[in-house]
Amino acid sequence: MASSHGNTHSERAKMEQIITEFFAKSLHIILESRCPYVSSRNYSGEQVLSSLSPSSSSSSSSSFRPRDKWFNLALRDCPAALENIDFWRQSNLEPMIVDVILMQRPIDWDPLNFSPKTGFVSGKERHYYGSDNEEFGCEGKNERIIERWVLQYESKKNGGSTGSKKRSNCTSSHALYKKSILLLRSLYATVRLLPAYKLFRDLTSSAHIRMYNLAHRVSSFVEPFTRREEADMQRFVFTPVDTSCGRLCLSVLYRSSVVDMGLDPSTPISPQFIPEYVGSPMAEPLKRFPSGFVSQSSPSSSPFGRRHSWSYDLYRASPPSANPSPSPSPTYSDSHASLAKQRCRRLPPPSLPHHVPDETLVAYMKTPSYDEYWPSPVFSPSPSPSPPTYVPNSHISKALLRCESAPVSIPVTRLSSMPSLPNKQLMPPSPPMKATLLSAAENIAHVRPTSTADKLLSFSKDRPHQIPGARPSVNSSPSKSFSSRLSFQDDYDDGPFVVEDDEILDPSSRSGLFELPGHPNEPGGNLFVKRSQDAAVGALVRMLKKAPPLHQDLQGSTLQTPTNSIKDTTEISEEPRVQQSSASNSVSSGLGLVTSKTTANALEELHGYRKMKDSLLKLK
Amino acid sequence: MNCEVCQLKELDVEHFEIREVLRCILHTILFHRALGLVRPKDIDLELFEITYVQCGDVELERKIDEKIDQFLDRVEKHPNKKNQICLSFYEVKNKQPTWFTNKVERLYWEQWYINLNVAQHQKGHSGKSTSSKIVVDPEAEERTVRRAALEASLRDVLFQIIRFVNEKKDHIPPIPNLEGVSFPYEITISSSSDSAFGMEMFKRMLQTGHPTMLS
Repeated sequence: MASSHGNTHSERAKMEQIITEFFAKSLHIILESRCPYVSSRNYSGEQVLSSLSPSSSSSSSSSFRPRDKWFNLALRDCPAALENIDFWRQSNLEPMIVDVILMQRPIDWDPLNFSPKTGFVSGKERHYYGSDNEEFGCEGKNERIIERWVLQYESKKNGGSTGSKKRSNCTSSHALYKKSILLLRSLYATVRLLPAYKLFRDLTSSAHIRMYNLAHRVSSFVEPFTRREEADMQRFVFTPVDTSCGRLCLSVLYRSSVVDMGLDPSTPISPQFIPEYVGSPMAEPLKRFPSGFVSQSSPSSSPFGRRHSWSYDLYRASPPSANPSPSPSPTYSDSHASLAKQRCRRLPPPSLPHHVPDETLVAYMKTPSYDEYWPSPVFSPSPSPSPPTYVPNSHISKALLRCESAPVSIPVTRLSSMPSLPNKQLMPPSPPMKATLLSAAENIAHVRPTSTADKLLSFSKDRPHQIPGARPSVNSSPSKSFSSRLSFQDDYDDGPFVVEDDEILDPSSRSGLFELPGHPNEPGGNLFVKRSQDAAVGALVRMLKKAPPLHQDLQGSTLQTPTNSIKDTTEISEEPRVQQSSASNSVSSGLGLVTSKTTANALEELHGYRKMKDSLLKLK
Repeated sequence: MNCEVCQLKELDVEHFEIREVLRCILHTILFHRALGLVRPKDIDLELFEITYVQCGDVELERKIDEKIDQFLDRVEKHPNKKNQICLSFYEVKNKQPTWFTNKVERLYWEQWYINLNVAQHQKGHSGKSTSSKIVVDPEAEERTVRRAALEASLRDVLFQIIRFVNEKKDHIPPIPNLEGVSFPYEITISSSSDSAFGMEMFKRMLQTGHPTMLS
């Protein structure tokens, strides 16, 4: 008896719990499809699960929350339902009435000047109708109850449980639960078939501003509809679920047609053009970039521009200082500092030392074999009235290094080491370019009558082997020559400008311009070589001065090489005489040291390495 | 256990409307019979302003689509006939094998009959004269009227299902599964002129042991 009584008590508790949860679930189903503010439906109408619930359409028990499992129906989150159910959790004997209210805006409503205070009632508001509740005027013009859901649990006030009832109580909770499941399924389908659902979908799925809105009100007591109002509505009553303790009833009164209420579901605001949107030119004028980035100096002044320019100078056969502006770049004014910078930024072979003292460079450039890297005919004398490119002393080496032209093997060393070079020997004062070149070639030919001269005149010819010191891979085209030179440099880690012995030691393969190993200051046999080197240096410097930008046509510039080189030779030959006695410090401003500093640095380094190479060869 | 039978209201549909109508009806019924743990999925019909509910079972969706394809094939083969789809729920009763049969007995406890009258659209080949415009407009208007009527009828059918589900609850067996469609079911297709149609009905009568309730 006690057990049966206990079972009855537990059974009753279960049933009460089922009823309570039924109230909550019903409210949840109704409000989630009537309350636009908490809806998470997408435009297509497919159900979009809230972030709290797993976004999985498949039934997965692990992804359901505890309250989802009630009645085997997992729903989206509906805060409005959760907020309003507390009252009925305390006592499920009170009826729960859910009014779905259609709020219509006035005809002259201006969306831009809309004041929320006088507008819609928030769907989240809840009101408990009391006997004196007059917050809402249901009879107001702009408010109409289009649906009224009534859920009530009518308890049976029967006597104590008997044997038969006890048996039924044992199964009543199960039956109640199963029937509740079915009822809630029907409710879920029904709320989507009623006319108000269309309004809800229009509000939630469309971006248009509607002239109406939906609100809800959950209460336990409402004023009944008038006969007239009820005549316009239809009723749908769900089959009550009978239990031993009571009866669960659910019904709905709804307006069959909401169209008659003068609604225009699709009343979008006409599109307006916003002229001054964020980011528009009118709203925010474009900021101009400062013009300071425009390089006013020669291309040689830019380390990056110059970094590779000396590799391209062979292509264009003109000095990188193609900019006729004689204005020196800051690099020229601060030769040492910029020189150091250029050394760091330069692209030359990694074997180049970061710092090559001027003396070393000078000495290196004295080596006679520098010209193997520099086909002198590539020199293109600068037509501009730029300062002479010849710098007798070490400044010459710097200047030429700054030129950034490929042929670092400019015998500036010879020029610098022998300020008293009889430049006049190189060229007549102002011969024609061709003549100048020819004379230089003749000088060169003193050592090698024909080969070098031919090379000077026809640099593009394929006679790499006649360029002393040059690798056999060096071919006729300037580009190829330089590329081979670069590769040549790269192949040597310890010394970038190591020349093959046979090329160096073979006098027949060299012109006088490309000196044999030996002390550069050796008199006699080296004199002519020095002179030729001077001419070559001058030509080179001139060429570097007149070097066009990197993007220029290399072929065109190559063609100009011979004539330009002649000019340069002439001018160079003149300059040393003029500046022969000048102080070394003034050299940095002359010489067309508009040429880049990086080239000068490169030349210096190259000469330094050459000097080292020569010294090593001497040791042998 | 009783076998509850529900003959749904006959619908006049066109060929291109069959799929949507059948999906709507079948899924609505099965949603009410998927008493396990489900996460409902709302589906909007394209041809009508109706939203129906699926139980979210992918396998179920596939099976239904297969049956609809079979129905469409049958309709094409047998035009101008009343077609019917029967959705039956049954219980599996393990019958002791006998000499005659070794099969497992099915005990149907609910049957739904979906009646569709597929209209054969007669295209007007009246020529392309100026009068064709006049002909087209009434047809379009008629089509619109017919579509509205079909939508209302479909809505009535859905409410009919809901009412039936609400009214008949005692015949449902205990819920065996926890997820998806709880009960075994089958979908059969028949047509009025099909000789097997009557045989199908007769077989079910024998299995259920109760006369078919034709309403």
